[in-house]
Amino acid sequence: MNQIEWLENLSLEDVSVAGPKMAKLGDLRAAGVTVPAGFTVTSAAYIEAVSDTPVAARIDELLADVAAADQPEMGKLAAAAREMICATALSPSLIEAIGQAYQSLSLRFGADSLPTAVRSSATGEDAADASFAGQFDSYLGVTGHAEVVDAVLSCWASLFTERAVTYRAGKGIRHHDCPMAVGVLELIDARASGVAFSVHPVTGRSDRIVIEGSWGWGEAIVQGLVTPDRVEVGKSDGRILDYVVADKTVMSTFDSEGGRVFETDVPDELKGARALSDAEVLAISEAVVLIEDHFGHPVDVEWVAGPASEEESRITIVQARPETVHGADGAVTPPQWNPAGYAMKYAFGNKVK
Amino acid sequence: MSDDLIPTEYCHHDFYPGFNPSQMDSAFKCARLDVFKPEDGELFWPLDFHYQRGFVPLGYLVVADGPLWGTQIAADAIPLPPSRGLQARMVGPHLYASEIPITDPWEIEQRAIKASQNIPAFLGNFSEIWAERVAELETWLHHMESAEPMGKSLSEIGEFFEKSVRLIRRAWEIHFEIMYPLVANYVGFYGLCTELNLEPGEIGRFLQGYDTKIMETDRELWGLTRRVRELGLEDLFAVTAAQDIATELASAGADAATFLTELDDFLQIYGRRSEGIIDLASPPWIDDPTSPLGTIKTFLLMDKDHDFDQANVEVVAEREEAISSARSRLTVEDREQFDAGLGACQAANFNWWNEEHNFYIDLRAHLPLRRASAALATAVGADSEDDGLFLFGPEARSLARGDSSWSDIAGLVGERRDFYNDWRAKRSEMPKMLGSVPDEVTDPVMKEIFGMGEHFFAALSGSSSEILKGVPAAMGSAEGPARVLFSPEDLHTILPGEILVCEATSPNWTPAFAKIAACVCDSGGTLTHASIVSREYRIPCVTGLAVATARISTGDRLLVNGTTGEVTLLDEIG
Repeated sequence: MNQIEWLENLSLEDVSVAGPKMAKLGDLRAAGVTVPAGFTVTSAAYIEAVSDTPVAARIDELLADVAAADQPEMGKLAAAAREMICATALSPSLIEAIGQAYQSLSLRFGADSLPTAVRSSATGEDAADASFAGQFDSYLGVTGHAEVVDAVLSCWASLFTERAVTYRAGKGIRHHDCPMAVGVLELIDARASGVAFSVHPVTGRSDRIVIEGSWGWGEAIVQGLVTPDRVEVGKSDGRILDYVVADKTVMSTFDSEGGRVFETDVPDELKGARALSDAEVLAISEAVVLIEDHFGHPVDVEWVAGPASEEESRITIVQARPETVHGADGAVTPPQWNPAGYAMKYAFGNKVK
Repeated sequence: MSDDLIPTEYCHHDFYPGFNPSQMDSAFKCARLDVFKPEDGELFWPLDFHYQRGFVPLGYLVVADGPLWGTQIAADAIPLPPSRGLQARMVGPHLYASEIPITDPWEIEQRAIKASQNIPAFLGNFSEIWAERVAELETWLHHMESAEPMGKSLSEIGEFFEKSVRLIRRAWEIHFEIMYPLVANYVGFYGLCTELNLEPGEIGRFLQGYDTKIMETDRELWGLTRRVRELGLEDLFAVTAAQDIATELASAGADAATFLTELDDFLQIYGRRSEGIIDLASPPWIDDPTSPLGTIKTFLLMDKDHDFDQANVEVVAEREEAISSARSRLTVEDREQFDAGLGACQAANFNWWNEEHNFYIDLRAHLPLRRASAALATAVGADSEDDGLFLFGPEARSLARGDSSWSDIAGLVGERRDFYNDWRAKRSEMPKMLGSVPDEVTDPVMKEIFGMGEHFFAALSGSSSEILKGVPAAMGSAEGPARVLFSPEDLHTILPGEILVCEATSPNWTPAFAKIAACVCDSGGTLTHASIVSREYRIPCVTGLAVATARISTGDRLLVNGTTGEVTLLDEIG
């Protein structure tokens, strides 16, 4: 099995190799959706470096009685396991393979060393469960061959965060059952980001797309720190039905030195300005329609608009999920005019149905 | 029990002298016109704003055989699912109206099934049906208006009298046969628009700007105003009281004579209208042109003429803009529904019809009865033609048959005149409503035309602040001095720039809209006369304030916001 797989070679059948997070991105890419470029350090690489080596045996020994441990004890055990992983010496062939892939990715963007997002993409039966997947670490702004290798090790180690160890202990899952794959993806310097729904999130109407977006990175929106712009788009003709510009006071931005996202005030001239151009709205809408058609049921997505050259920037879809509230056929009945029905409904009080 | 909800004095008050209301012989389908009984407290009775001058005795025959008969016939023919039309109670000359509710769920359901079949069929043929009805009404009206009962024998007068009553019945059958389905259709479309998230304020605009007979009358009045200027008669109008202008003109030379000829041409077409809806007591313009001449007198005070063509261009542009703006915000799927609903309302346009029909029915169909009563009074030897107005139906019929003589009743007429005048003066103190506030009003005319929706009940209970809240009926805002009017006969005295404050307006009030800065009403919703006309004249209007006439005095400075529905008392003089 390959230690490195490019996103363009991944499909949903590769969940055990690349983890669902990366496999889904590969699937979207194959469907024609613009997703971040990147590659996966596969679960095979992890198995070769950890599971099939004495490291795994030592971790097994360390964690043998973990189910009985109390919380402080468990914390210590988990920390010890992570140290063992980080101290693992990778094979020269793996280091070289990561290096080659990283260089190749950088060159695609004309860069010597491309800033990346290095993301855990755990495999195993529970991997599709969001609460499981959320236990593992991601590293943003990772730049340079050695740094990427370190970040991959850190992602592997995050298989042994206290939370992850507790979770598996509770469910009786062995860490051998969920070898870690790691995605290395281009880091998009988000000019604006947000979410989009292929049905109206409140009414369930399926003839429109609702887009919410604000300046900078998506964290401020996801955490509810900012009221985003809200756009409604007709699904059949891609026409903007309504664009409500919000007063956007806070934005998330990225500190490349510290490798972290932080909140800052939105400059005054941008607070009341549209975060998305018409062309960007259209691009997001087209992506949403494409994904909904591909999945065969309503979806919500997270999108990022990259740096803009003129007024238009590349729209990248970073995540897509099935829409759970209204589902495939839970949408409300759309209004259907007929004079008698509406007269009965509205003109004669509540006693008439 | 709800006995105390109707004031005792209204249940046992002295009615018009010398008449027992139980002898009223008017037609009714399911509820007779009556005085209040204690058990009426269970129902909801708003003071009917249509009849602000109240009714002379013979006027009660018109309301009973007209609107009440018409609603009861139409409500069962369509049928309205939860209502059998309107009924009414008399307090002196003032009228309180209520719906006749149907409460049995099975019956409501059966009627709803029938109405669901009938209403679309009616709406689909509306233009043909209305054209037929107009032709029928015009034939009737022409026949009655060209006949002369004055000087005829008692029995001939009696026949003319009965024919006049039949015209009233037929006119008002037509009135509600049309009005109920049109209102229901519009309210349904309004409901669709709210489902489509369109703003309530813009929905009224979708159907504005279609010319009506009433608008045509106003335009002709402005034409006459220009003629006054062209003929150099402004000074005569400026120095002469409205009621004396006609007499002065008659002796003011050739130009004045030319004007009088043109005025007469105007009155032949547009003058068969009374000052109030079905108001027998007010002479039609053709008999007494004080009102149109007084209106021209105040039009002459304005800096410039109301430019109807320009206003119409703007109103139509505003309509088209509102429609295209709404459509731009709808998905392809929703737009199809909107277009279908809008098309249905354009083809059977309530907003248009609600003005148009007044020319044939509300202001006109009762006038032959007025002439019958004058002929009768003259024939029996009364002092004045007007004396006939102070007879009740059974009394007039008895006189016409020769069963009684004028001397039997002559003494009562003076007492009844005093009674009428005393009670008319109390109009502003009459309770705006009696009985029990209901959970909801279901008759669409009661709800949409009277404006008895939730907002009205809310306005009734929150009336003490400087800001009154009502229905935003026509957008825009204006500031100016209030002119509180309880009676349309003072209408021609309104000065340019004043804000009209009233219970509600009627079609005969429209000439004033070219002068006023804004309109404020106790009653009504977005479909009432004042709302529709304000949109055509492009002035702000707030309706359904419940207590505006009680709270505001003439001279108070007001700020009217027709977009939010707020009326602010900036400075209280009264």
